[in-house]
Amino acid sequence: MTNGAITTTQRGDRRIPVVVAIVVVQAIAAVFFIADAAVDITAGEWGLHILAEVLIALALLAGVALGAWQTRRMFETAHRNEQALQIARGAVAEIMASRFIEWRLTDAETEVALFALKGCETPEIADLRQVAEGTVRAQLTAIYAKAGVSSRHALSSLFLEDLIEVSTDKGIFGKGAPPEGGDAN
Amino acid sequence: MTVHTPTRRWDPLVKITHWGVAAVVVVNALIVGEGSIAHIYAGYTLAALLALRILWGFIGTYSARFSSFKPSPSRALGHIADIRAGRHEVHKSHNPLGALMAYALWACLAVIIASGIGMAGAPPAVDASISASEFISGEYGEGSEGSEREESQAEELFEEVHEIAVNLLYVLIALHIAGVAFETARSGKRTITAMLPGGK
Repeated sequence: MTNGAITTTQRGDRRIPVVVAIVVVQAIAAVFFIADAAVDITAGEWGLHILAEVLIALALLAGVALGAWQTRRMFETAHRNEQALQIARGAVAEIMASRFIEWRLTDAETEVALFALKGCETPEIADLRQVAEGTVRAQLTAIYAKAGVSSRHALSSLFLEDLIEVSTDKGIFGKGAPPEGGDAN
Repeated sequence: MTVHTPTRRWDPLVKITHWGVAAVVVVNALIVGEGSIAHIYAGYTLAALLALRILWGFIGTYSARFSSFKPSPSRALGHIADIRAGRHEVHKSHNPLGALMAYALWACLAVIIASGIGMAGAPPAVDASISASEFISGEYGEGSEGSEREESQAEELFEEVHEIAVNLLYVLIALHIAGVAFETARSGKRTITAMLPGGK
């Protein structure tokens, strides 16, 4: 889960330097074109050639300005996503903590439950906690019993269910869409 | 529940223009000959990088905008007092002393670029007849000395200003590096990593 999340934010981040590099090259090209056009104009060599140069210079300048604007928007979106991710992570942790307390899990069970929800297999959990697999299996059974579920799958569904409810309230499935669908138009 | 949000201080445009200017200044000082075609091109490249950074100062991200680090001598003095007292204030952009340094460097670069363009004019055309060594170290425009007296006087003034400003730039760069070293020792290596690629 963590790995996937990091790559998602990094993908957005990695595009920004590319756009910035293009903007920088455009800016350098624009300056050379403007200098060239300025000298030609002061030399009084009016003509189609200069007109073309001025147009290209203006187009490059517009490209620079738009590129810079785009960069800022991408940067702000990436920043917002990162913050949203942090908040979501915090929310998941909060829900988990409150449920674990509600179910009266012991410290050891809490740890096992966390590993299980993160997707660790029983042998992995045993390895991480340096206990026998049988112990972990027994702890998992205790956790399922306290949570009122019968499998690991059902356990994670409990949290997913909570999150999906929260999400639809906040309109993640259609940002800006009206809360009640249907009668638009 | 505390949500830790890492504040990314410098965006890619700030980093690229910063290191672009640094690279051009260093390469120009070490390899490129005074008054060569490459030198003129270096100047125009600096002009583009500086212009882009200034544009970014108006429309850029929060920490890059001039409004986030207005030049203020009184706040700079306050910052010195903070340093003396060992207080650590968190600045989202440049600290007040760093802000003054940034403006000083930009002003210095602007003077260097303007006086350089005043001397050299438009970027000279480069064709296959110019060898690489000529491009990098050959003096450009030596042949056209038959100009009027007034123009050569203006050129002398530009040359004077150019040289003084360049020396001032080297002093400012040394101070800038010293300032960063000091701030790194005082507040940790994030001062430096914030400007490195991928750093926050």
